Parts: sequence; C-alpha cells; structure tokens
Amino acid sequence: MSNSVISVISRFLEEYASSTPNKLKVIDAYLLYIMMTGALQFLYCLLVGTFPFNSFLSGFISCVGSFILAVCLRIQINPQNKGEFLSISPERAFADFLFAHTVLHLVVINFIG
Amino acid sequence: MYPFEGLFSLLVLSLVLETQALTPTHHLTTTDVARLQAVLSQPFTDLKSAYYSVVGLSKLGISVADAATCRFIKSNLDPSSVESLFFAAEASQALPGCEIPVSNDTRDLLLATVSEDSTASQIHQSVSALSSLGLPLASQEVVSALKARISKEDNVLTIILALQTASRLSQQAELGEILEEIEDLAARLDDLGGVYLQFEEGLEATALFVSAAYALSDHVDMEPPLKEDQVIQLVNSIFSKKSWDSLSEAFSVASAAESLSNNRFHVPVIVSAQGPAAISHSQPFLRLQVTNVLCKPLSSASVLVESATATSSKSAILSQAPFTLRDGVFELNFMASQPASGYYQFSVAIAGDSRFVANHVELKVKVSTRVSINNMDLSVVDKDQSIGPKTTRVEYPAKAKASFMADSHQIFAMTFQLVDETTGVELTPHQTFVRLHNQKTGQEVVFVAEPDSKNLYKFELDTTERKTEFDSISGTYALYLMVGDATLENPILWNVADVVLKFLDEEAPSTIQAKTLYTPKPEIQHLFREPEKKPPTVVSNAFTALVLSPFLLLLILWFKLGANISNFTLSPSTVLFHIGHAAMLGLMYVYWTHLNMFQTLKYLAIIGSFTFLAGNRMLAQKAVKRLVDNLAAKLL
Repeated sequence: MSNSVISVISRFLEEYASSTPNKLKVIDAYLLYIMMTGALQFLYCLLVGTFPFNSFLSGFISCVGSFILAVCLRIQINPQNKGEFLSISPERAFADFLFAHTVLHLVVINFIG
Repeated sequence: MYPFEGLFSLLVLSLVLETQALTPTHHLTTTDVARLQAVLSQPFTDLKSAYYSVVGLSKLGISVADAATCRFIKSNLDPSSVESLFFAAEASQALPGCEIPVSNDTRDLLLATVSEDSTASQIHQSVSALSSLGLPLASQEVVSALKARISKEDNVLTIILALQTASRLSQQAELGEILEEIEDLAARLDDLGGVYLQFEEGLEATALFVSAAYALSDHVDMEPPLKEDQVIQLVNSIFSKKSWDSLSEAFSVASAAESLSNNRFHVPVIVSAQGPAAISHSQPFLRLQVTNVLCKPLSSASVLVESATATSSKSAILSQAPFTLRDGVFELNFMASQPASGYYQFSVAIAGDSRFVANHVELKVKVSTRVSINNMDLSVVDKDQSIGPKTTRVEYPAKAKASFMADSHQIFAMTFQLVDETTGVELTPHQTFVRLHNQKTGQEVVFVAEPDSKNLYKFELDTTERKTEFDSISGTYALYLMVGDATLENPILWNVADVVLKFLDEEAPSTIQAKTLYTPKPEIQHLFREPEKKPPTVVSNAFTALVLSPFLLLLILWFKLGANISNFTLSPSTVLFHIGHAAMLGLMYVYWTHLNMFQTLKYLAIIGSFTFLAGNRMLAQKAVKRLVDNLAAKLL
C-alpha cells in the first residue's frame, strides 16, 4: 500500500519536474512560500493566542488571498488552458493579478491595525 | 367592528355628558377686577391711552369726573386725524360735561372717510366719532362701505370692527348681512379641549368679538347665534388671564365683561362658595356668592337647592330648598337638616332672569363633626382564659393610672367606640391607629384598630405573635390612640396608658440605628478595562522572524529554477512601472503607519494611474515581443 503511494508520489514529482514550464514553476515556488507564511501565522495563533485578533485575521486573509490570486494567475497563464482563456492574454492576466493585489493589500493594511 | 362601535358610542356619550352641565372654570374675582381697574387707572400719556382708561373705567362702572382729563383730551386733540377725533369723541362721551368743539371741516373729514377705500378701522373710527359727537351720518352708505370692506379683507379683526360700527348705525338700515357675520365669525373660533373658545389671533380679538357681537345684537334686538356652552367657553378664555400685557388688552377684557353683564340675551352666572364649602356645628350656614362676570352680586336671582345627596349612601337630604339673601351673599342653614358627617353633592339652580347662562351648578359640600371616644376599655387577658380579664375604663383625655403588664402568656386588649359628639351616631373614621412607643429606645410600632360589625373598635396585642414588629425588645411602651379623618374637626392623639411588654428570647437591646438612607455610601472605584495580556516580546520577535523566513526559501527556489531577470529591458515604461509599483508598496507601508483610508485612496489614485499607464505600455511591449517570438519559432 505504502509502496504504491510512494511510487505515485515519485512519479508525480518526476512528471512535474520535466513537463512543467519554468514560468509555472516560478509561480509554484511563490505559492509554496505563501502557504508556508500562512501556516506559520496560524501556528503562532494556536500557540500564543489570538491577542491582536484583527492583526491575525488580516495577515491570514492576506496569505489566503494572495494564494488564490496566484493560483488564478497560474491557471490563466498555463498554455495548456489557452483554449478556455482566448480573450485573456498572459499579460492581461498579470495586470489583473497586480490590480487585485492592490485592492487586497489596501484592505489588509486597513484591517491590520 | 364591534369594539369600534362601542368606542364611538362611548365617545359620543361622554361628549354629551360633558356638554350637559358646563360651568365657568375661570372667572374674575374681586381682586382681579380691582387689578383691572388699577391697570386702567394708570396715568395716561397720550390721547389713545386716555381713551382706553376713561372708556375702560366707564365700562367697569367707574366714572372719571375729572376736569383735568377733559382739558387733556381737548388739548391733545388733532382735528385733522380721524383716529384722534375718534379717541377724543369716545372719551368725552364717557366724561360727563365734556364737550368737544366740532367744526364743519371736522364733519366733512369724518364723512369723507366713510367710503370703500378706507380701512375698516378708519370707517369704524369715523362712524363712532360722528355718532358720539351727535353728527348725522348716512347709515346705508356705511353699510355698503362695510360690506365692500369685508369682501376685500376677510380677517377676524375687520369683521369685528364692522360689527362694532354697525351697532352705531340707525336701526332702519339693512344690517341683516352684517348680523350674519356673527355666526360666521363664531364658527372660526378654536375649541380648546371643550373648555376654551378663542380666536387664534388671541385674547384681545376674542374679547372684542364678544363685546361687538352683543353690542350689535342688543342694537337690533336679535339673540346672537351663540349657544350657552359657547358663551361659557368664551368666558373661560377671556377671563383666564389675570394680568394683562397692554392697556388695549385690559380695555378689551373690561369691554367684554361689561357686555356679558349687561346685554339683553345672555348673562353668565358665576357661583362660588364663600370660603371652603364646609359646614359644621360651629358654622352651620353654606354661603354662596352669586355674581355676574364683573363680580357684582345678582340681587334679582333666587337660588334654590334642587337636590342634596350624600355621596356615600346616595340618599337625598334636601330637595327644592331656597337660599336666603343676606348682605349680598346667599346662605342656607344646612345643619338644620341634621346631616350625618361626610360629603354631599349639591345641585343648585339660579333662577330669576331668563338671560342667565350656566345657572345650574354642582357643588361638593363637606359636613364635618367632632368625634368623642366612648367606653375605652383596656384589659389584659390570659391566653388560656384561666384568669378572668380585668377591665379598666379610661376616660378621654386622662391616662390610665396603672400600667399594664403583658408577657408571653397574656394578650393585651383594647375596645372603644367612636361616636359623633352631638348626635351620638357611630363613626368609622379613616384613620384609627394604635401606636406603641418605647421611650428608652425610641422605637415605635403602629397598628390599625378595626371595627367589628357593630362599629365597636377592637385592638388585641399578642406578644408572641407580634414579636418581630417589636424586635423582641421588652420594656415600657406608651400607648397612643390616633383618630383622624377629613370630616373630623378634632383629630385625636391620646396617650391612653403605659404597657409593659415582656418577650421571650430577648436579644440584647440594641439601639435602633437610624436608617442609613441618607448617609454617604462607599465610594465606587471605576475599574478601567484592563488591556489584554500580551505575549512576551521574545516570543513575538521569534515568530516574526519565523514568519519572514519563507521569503528566503522563495528566493532560493527562484534562484534554483533559474528565473531570469535577463529579459529585463531597460525601456522607460518598464523602469517607470517598477518605480510606480514600488511606490505603491511604499504607500501601503505609510498607510499602515500614518495615513487614513481617504488620504491613501487619494495617493493611490495618483500613483496607481501612473503605474497603470506605465505597466500597460510595458506589458503591451512584452506581448508584442512574445507574439513575434512565437511567429519566429513557428516559421523556423
């Protein structure tokens, strides 16, 4: 059982390393970074307490929001999905990504207190 | 549906009941009339105030026979002014032996003022002056001028002046239309709560309306279309104000009072009891003052008690008993009918003149009496009835010589009767209290003595039962009997005896503490909200570093992936875009530290639009480059 799981995982990693374009890997690295930051914030909240609750929420939502926006960017940029996003060029996706981030950061900074 | 019908009929019924017997709630007393007279007697400064004073006082029945006044009027007269002529003419009319010289020019001026173009006030003044000076005038012309004036100006004061003017004209003139204005004006009065009826223009207008309406009605000998209740409501409005702001207001009140006392149709009657409406053996006469609105007694009236019923038993004591007039006051010896003490509802009718209005009055009369205490018996009874009671009789106001002892085996009892001193009828006053007062500790306990079915009062004190009221403090208590009632003339506080009470389980006698209601209470300290406990700085710093660490990981990963910045073209739009973007991030930091949302949005709009333009340019260039590369790759 575990054998097959390990083999599946190693196969997946191989495929990933070989067939994913570089751009997407860059975004995936970014996604990993965001996720780790969010997880560490959550860990802090669990361990130490929710004292400035608004700050915790703001930081956590920032991570979650950034993750979602990056995922959207990744989907839109992926050449394999080109058929579904005919009207949206990668540049347009990136511009949307930046704009959405601006709004997100505005709200986050407002709430962080 | 049904509840609304019921409510509606109840409302109608209450309205009907209310309007049935309306009597004046406000009227002038003799002091008010004296005050009115004093206001009108103030020394006058000009012709107008002289007019108000002289004519006003004459309306109150006081004549000013003063040569100085006449000289003042003559010297202040301005023959070229209609108003001045009016004041002088009216004032001289009220002064005996004062004549104003009249020239042809004066007469012509006054006659010329009677036209449609003059104001109603001018017409009124010229007609009154002509009439007072004895000069002839053409009544029909006046009537047509007034009618034209009323149709042009429909306000209350104009119509009142028209009514006043019409009352000075000849009786042959056609005054019918002007007479109808009284009814129209009466409809414009505001009914306030069913008690007051007045114009929104104020007291003066209402008072002038009353005097004008009655003056005209008397002149044409036709009853004014005012109902009795309306007359009473007008009386309430006009005489509710007891001090007057101006001479003209005082004058209008005096005019109204005079017309309501002396007209041919409605004379409101004011009935008031002289002093409190209370009768006793020492004061057996019920005295009523029956006057008109000027506080002059109506000697032609005959006052009759239609019925006098006791409020408690509803039995009629008197029926159709007349009052006798003595020194201007109507009195009736009510005690002669030997009424029991209590309250009585009198229904009084004033007859004698068909003009009387509000001549049915309801009065509440109190009959008080003196009480005496009979058969006060004090005894100490053993609980198990083994020893017979020793009864001691005490006479008021003496005190029992020996004090009574009662401990836990005995009951202290008291019986007495309260009777009317003169008639011997048993009474049940509202307050019959027995008060026990401990002289040493200052404690007092009060009980109520209740009468039984034969009106014999009984009070029993069982020491075991009443332990809590006394706090089980034994000692000598002074016993007082308190009797009081609204209809008793001699309330009683009688120290009957001393009672020594012994309680079981006596606690150490503690002095009674005065109630600490009014001493300062302990101060309340306000606790401000404690700030929440913060984690130690070390922990937060450590975690801050930990949270920032994935950034390093990101940089390492990107480096490993070979993310290149070699495609970084140094075109202006790219540089500007990156600067703008960095500025936006910097703005976020500044927003966190210094700014508020509005300022941030303002700066963001500026930087954002700049960045957008630059970024648009840059991305367009990149897109072009990408497409070119794709094409090149395809072609190759």
